Amino acid sequence: MQKRGLKSLPREKDKDLKENLYKNVDVYRLVDNLERCMQCGKCVGFCPVASLSPSYNSRQIIGDVLNGQQERWLKSEEIWRCFWCAGCYTLCPVDIHFPLLIMQIRYRAIENKYGLKYVAPFKRFAIAAWQDGLTFVPASTKGRDRIRKIRTNIGLPPWPEVSQKAREEYKAIFDLTGARAFVEAIDENDVKHLDLAYKEGRVTFANRKSG
Amino acid sequence: MQTERVVNPEEKIPHIPKAVFLFRSCTGSLEYPGTESAVRETLKIFGINSVMNADQTCCSGYLLTCSVHKPEVSLAATARNLAIVEKTGLDTYTFCNGCYGYLSELSHILLYHSKYLAMANELIGRWGYRYEGRTTIYHIQEMWYRLKERIAAGVMRPLKGLRVAAHYGCHYLSRQYGIFDDGGYPTFHEELIESLGGTPVFYKERQLCCGYSVGRGFTHKEVLVQPHLHKKFKSAAEAGVQLMTTVCPGCNVALDREQPNLNKRYGETFNIPVIDLAQVIALALGVPISKLGFDANTVALDHILKILDYDKGI
Repeated sequence: MQKRGLKSLPREKDKDLKENLYKNVDVYRLVDNLERCMQCGKCVGFCPVASLSPSYNSRQIIGDVLNGQQERWLKSEEIWRCFWCAGCYTLCPVDIHFPLLIMQIRYRAIENKYGLKYVAPFKRFAIAAWQDGLTFVPASTKGRDRIRKIRTNIGLPPWPEVSQKAREEYKAIFDLTGARAFVEAIDENDVKHLDLAYKEGRVTFANRKSG
Repeated sequence: MQTERVVNPEEKIPHIPKAVFLFRSCTGSLEYPGTESAVRETLKIFGINSVMNADQTCCSGYLLTCSVHKPEVSLAATARNLAIVEKTGLDTYTFCNGCYGYLSELSHILLYHSKYLAMANELIGRWGYRYEGRTTIYHIQEMWYRLKERIAAGVMRPLKGLRVAAHYGCHYLSRQYGIFDDGGYPTFHEELIESLGGTPVFYKERQLCCGYSVGRGFTHKEVLVQPHLHKKFKSAAEAGVQLMTTVCPGCNVALDREQPNLNKRYGETFNIPVIDLAQVIALALGVPISKLGFDANTVALDHILKILDYDKGI
């Protein structure tokens, strides 16, 4: 084994294994059974993202969360890759809801100012949603007119009926939960580069000379 | 608590209701309004009244999973929307897998963590709402399967052996308990397609997701989503798929809008129209094509309608 690899990516030590470390990540207490993870890796075998991007490895991410190895996933690009297809949850032998974990992993990253470039594109959609009570309403008049035309042609009301009351209350929910401040604080200019962090243990032939 | 993983349609929907609360989907009502229309027209055929309410907002789940706002928002919005449904005494039927998945998951969290329920009810209480967990959340595809025999008996325009592939979408199948089929390899859409006179196609990458959820279509389009969808469509095209059905307008966006981009990037000639399962059912049951909103689709359906002799616009 190469010494360099060992030095740059220390493996977890026994003394790191403390109970309940994952609760620093699972602050909403939605993945209470995480410590039942057997590290079997079924989730990785099924994962469509892992099949295209081998360093994305849900098993290793869970391992790091359990061991409190926050540094590696926090600064990794991989945690932003999950499609949330929840196939891992469907087949997990101990019913771990990995998507609800990755959701909170991403919040921890945002709190530490990592990965904002993967959140910033949605800022304008969130702000628009307060006005419309709907998500992904086209910003352009042309786009809105197209929808009105299609809906009218098929005999629906030209625009989905969302009352003024609904819009106001939806917006107020953002204000009252502090989410409005959260959205407005997302800095669209803070687009730090993130590296793939889970390269450990993989054989690559990228630098091997042929023949 | 529901503990059985796969349930019978007759168990989950013992009686066909006279009316259902139809939960508006942002994408299904804006990007593909034909979905909303097809659902309402089909329910009408079976004498089911679809009740909608202008006070309902977006389910808020999509932006939650894009990490752009907090779970508290979605817990409160879910409690508020479902409290509106509960006032009508009806059950909730969604026609978007996203709405279904988020409403189910968030209401589950509300009902099993009393502090979240108290938080949400306190927040929405100021407007006179209170969520108690009385409405059951269904996806409209469950109703189609429950009505399978009546649908089969009512086919007026059979699909003439058209090769149709079903795309189930993740957020229905990922429910651990109380769904209609095996989440790993479901076949109940194929049964419906068969009963409409179509030929269901099982292709190798059938179980691949659409890749668009949680915003990856915006953030990782080139690096992940397009290679992922290329794999899916290559396999579908090789298997001779002529039409693809979804039960999630979000999946529909990914599978329909991305095809020209895939063709351009990979030099392919994919031309597989993607429509909602409700649109196919409505089509076969004789709902006028003018009510199905196919002009919202990027990959046009003209050649399919021609094969089926529906191009006369009846």
